[in-house]
Amino acid sequence: MGSHITARGPVTPSMNITPLIDVVFLLIIFFMLVNNIVSDESVEMVLPELDPPHTRELGEVSRVVVNVAPEPFSKQGRAGYPLEHPGRARYVKVGTGVGSQFAVEDTVGITAALTALRTANPDLQVLLRADAALFYDEVRPVMGAVTAAGIGTVNLVAYLPEE
Amino acid sequence: MASKPPQPDPSEIVHHQSARARRRKAARGPAQVGALNLTSMIDVIFQLLIYFVVTASFMVNEGVLTAKLPQGAAAASTDDELPPEIITLKLTSGDDPGVVAIERGAFVYASFAELEADLDRQRYDPDIGQIDGLYPADSPIVIQADGKARWQHLVAAFNAAVGAKYTNVRFADKVKSEK
Repeated sequence: MGSHITARGPVTPSMNITPLIDVVFLLIIFFMLVNNIVSDESVEMVLPELDPPHTRELGEVSRVVVNVAPEPFSKQGRAGYPLEHPGRARYVKVGTGVGSQFAVEDTVGITAALTALRTANPDLQVLLRADAALFYDEVRPVMGAVTAAGIGTVNLVAYLPEE
Repeated sequence: MASKPPQPDPSEIVHHQSARARRRKAARGPAQVGALNLTSMIDVIFQLLIYFVVTASFMVNEGVLTAKLPQGAAAASTDDELPPEIITLKLTSGDDPGVVAIERGAFVYASFAELEADLDRQRYDPDIGQIDGLYPADSPIVIQADGKARWQHLVAAFNAAVGAKYTNVRFADKVKSEK
């Protein structure tokens, strides 16, 4: 009785690594997709730094992010001085995908895009994401365009308080 | 069905492997993943994974302040009482983008923290015993700025008003005149 342990030399453990490869592939695909979606929705810019910040998380709501993109800049150049920037906007991006980019003066186009999105989704929340160094002259027409689309509240995006 | 070799026993017809093949397979030992050495593939996959993890940038540190936009549709209250006094915050910028003059009527502030503290003090809030404030929490605050003021300052002014617990904060309409 009892188990026979046959000595056959050094034991090499044999692990079935198929599930490991499956999980790793899953992770890769997850990060690829998330990276794509996030980089598409948020244009690279420096947001306003508030002191003390009263920003809060928006939570799970259907939303469209209106990006007012600044003229190209180098992150290192602005590292200590976020407001050292010419202050002009390059384009306005409403949501994501094809045809989401507008010139800053094209308030008609922005309003049309927002109206279309809003008819598709009446509870839409608009997030206004503008670079901290932009002149108010650049952002005001965008806010006007949002108003013209019949939207009464807009969420201004800034950095959350440091944890 | 083409011509078959001599019919096997009925008991063996159910299986798709002949008895000989089964024995051969059993003699081979536990199932292997073919003859493919997967170590290098796993290395490459881990490389890819690490690349994507490192380059992933989540928007975790971005939050929002909710603002009301100036709309003509804002319901004008038919009140018998006095219309609420509007607090106007005026932001004027100079050559230095980092510097902005913050004014509320006759008061000038050195920083937005100071503005927030003052607005908080001026808030009439019986719930916390602050009854010497002039403005109730729903007084409209209008933020007015010239075109060359940086967005940073506008959001900071908005943040100060929100931090002082006022609920009706908006940006000014198109500049009409000096109000």
